Amino acid sequence: MNILELLTTDFILNAVIGGLILAILLSVLSLFIYVKKWSFINVGISHAAFGGLAIGYIAGISPSITGSIFAVIVGILIGFLSKRGKFHEDISIGILLSFSMALGVILISFSNNYNSDLFSFLFGNILTITREDITTLGIFTVIAFAFLYVYFKKLLYCCFDEEVAKVSGVKTDFLYYSLIVLMAIATVLSIKLVGSILASAMMILPAATSSQIFWHYRSIVVFSIIISIFTVVTGIFISFEFNLPSGSTIVMVYSVIFFVITAVKRFLK
Amino acid sequence: MIEIKDLTVIIDGKIIIEDINLNIEDGEIVAIVGPNGGGKTTLIKTLLGFITPSSGVVYIDGKNPKGFIKESKVGYLPQKSSYEKDFPVSALDVVMFGLINEKIPKSQKIRKAMEYMKYVGMEGFENYPFGRLSGGQQQRVMIARALISQPKLLILDEPSTGIDVVAQENFYEFLKKINQDRGITVIMVSHDVGVVANYVHKVAGLNRKLHFFGKPKDFFQTNVLNQLYGSDVNLLIHSPECITCQHFMPDKLLEGIKH
Ligand SMILES: Nc1ncnc2c1ncn2[C@@H]1O[C@H](COP(=O)(O)OP(=O)(O)O)[C@@H](O)[C@H]1O
Ligand SMILES: [Mg+2]
Repeated sequence: MNILELLTTDFILNAVIGGLILAILLSVLSLFIYVKKWSFINVGISHAAFGGLAIGYIAGISPSITGSIFAVIVGILIGFLSKRGKFHEDISIGILLSFSMALGVILISFSNNYNSDLFSFLFGNILTITREDITTLGIFTVIAFAFLYVYFKKLLYCCFDEEVAKVSGVKTDFLYYSLIVLMAIATVLSIKLVGSILASAMMILPAATSSQIFWHYRSIVVFSIIISIFTVVTGIFISFEFNLPSGSTIVMVYSVIFFVITAVKRFLK
Repeated sequence: MIEIKDLTVIIDGKIIIEDINLNIEDGEIVAIVGPNGGGKTTLIKTLLGFITPSSGVVYIDGKNPKGFIKESKVGYLPQKSSYEKDFPVSALDVVMFGLINEKIPKSQKIRKAMEYMKYVGMEGFENYPFGRLSGGQQQRVMIARALISQPKLLILDEPSTGIDVVAQENFYEFLKKINQDRGITVIMVSHDVGVVANYVHKVAGLNRKLHFFGKPKDFFQTNVLNQLYGSDVNLLIHSPECITCQHFMPDKLLEGIKH
């Protein structure tokens, strides 16, 4: 099949549309994860989401809903502990995440398609993206962008210095937890495309890559969106052409871009 | 302006601040001095409402700290030697953070922020990455950010960290000017009692308890320094005024005086 034929195929079209929406959403969120150095919250959320997804999947409820509930709860918990400076000491979080991951695998093992289902959950499967998924993703993205549009500067101020922002009258706790909730839901929604293991990479790589070239947040966001769109579309086509897992392919393309940019930057110095 | 009554702060079962009484008048510059771990930052965080008193009360303009802060009338500079190098904002962005709750057009915010950059002597650095400025330059930008919301009270926690002595004196001159220009009440934490004494109206000597509160010259004349610093005295005295009062000081303190 050539690209044109691919695009007229329903499921590929769904994957590309879903992938584009995700690329834009995750790029913007990645700025905050980058400035907050929040990758550990991110990784935690995607592990937790896995258990939640599996519960919904086995119980016949929408996995997005159960996964989101799990992810939001764990995200808020990690956020709460890390705010008190106790996250790194708190071994219970590590155990909770492993538990959630193990629970997910065990639950999925009850399914008839054990191998292929587990594989899609872990590494993403663009073939599973449906019209409903895109609708859910679209609605969530609109809400997320409305929130980010209103609170962008305040979020940035909180990330810059939370106490100082509070003295300036910013509702820092509200923004802190809202951001975590947004991240949690975005993670769950991106699992179908990139899988649970790499969901966090999609939220770390865009800003991490862009900040190699640009220092100002506005440029970082714009460039993040551009490379994410390029990466997701390229990744989807490569993964389809060569029958590779979509998540791994996208992250692979991303990592190559990251290393090329970093190498060129070193070379130019 | 500020009224502290019988204030005690206990954190994790440890008494950090014990039974403090203190009144600060409108338009005063007050330095809080004392040894490391003496509770200076804790006192400031209590004034800002981040820490709730274990007993006693704090009033700012007759309101509790949280209520006062809501009105955005406080400018605060935290104790921090420098900010994240890669934080993706310009110096002007940081100053504009100070206007975050103002409902004025963006162009007006920019104009105002430029004005304040100039006021703190940072003209020309508007579009420079904030994280790559020197410690002293960052302090100035942070001060511009704190001042731009036209606060009635300015609270500075060790503003001289990362600035050399000469620059420090300029900085204190600058604070004095702000205080005179606008009648802002200034509370600052400082390590260098000797330097700061020349620029402030009152000194508060804090080491868990408030060992001294009054005019700087009385601070140096009493043996409160011994109480406050114990054997840790290592002061840098610059002012000739203070050299004349050296013979009133405890011997231990004299050993610590250089210059
Ligand atoms: N959040 C906290 N938890 C436990 N102890 C604290 C906390 N904050 C401060 N302390 C303790 O309170 C004491 C006073 O600290 P601080 O107010 O920072 O002193 P200073 O600013 O005068 O150097 C120190 O002994 C410090 O260890
Ligand atoms: Mg301190």
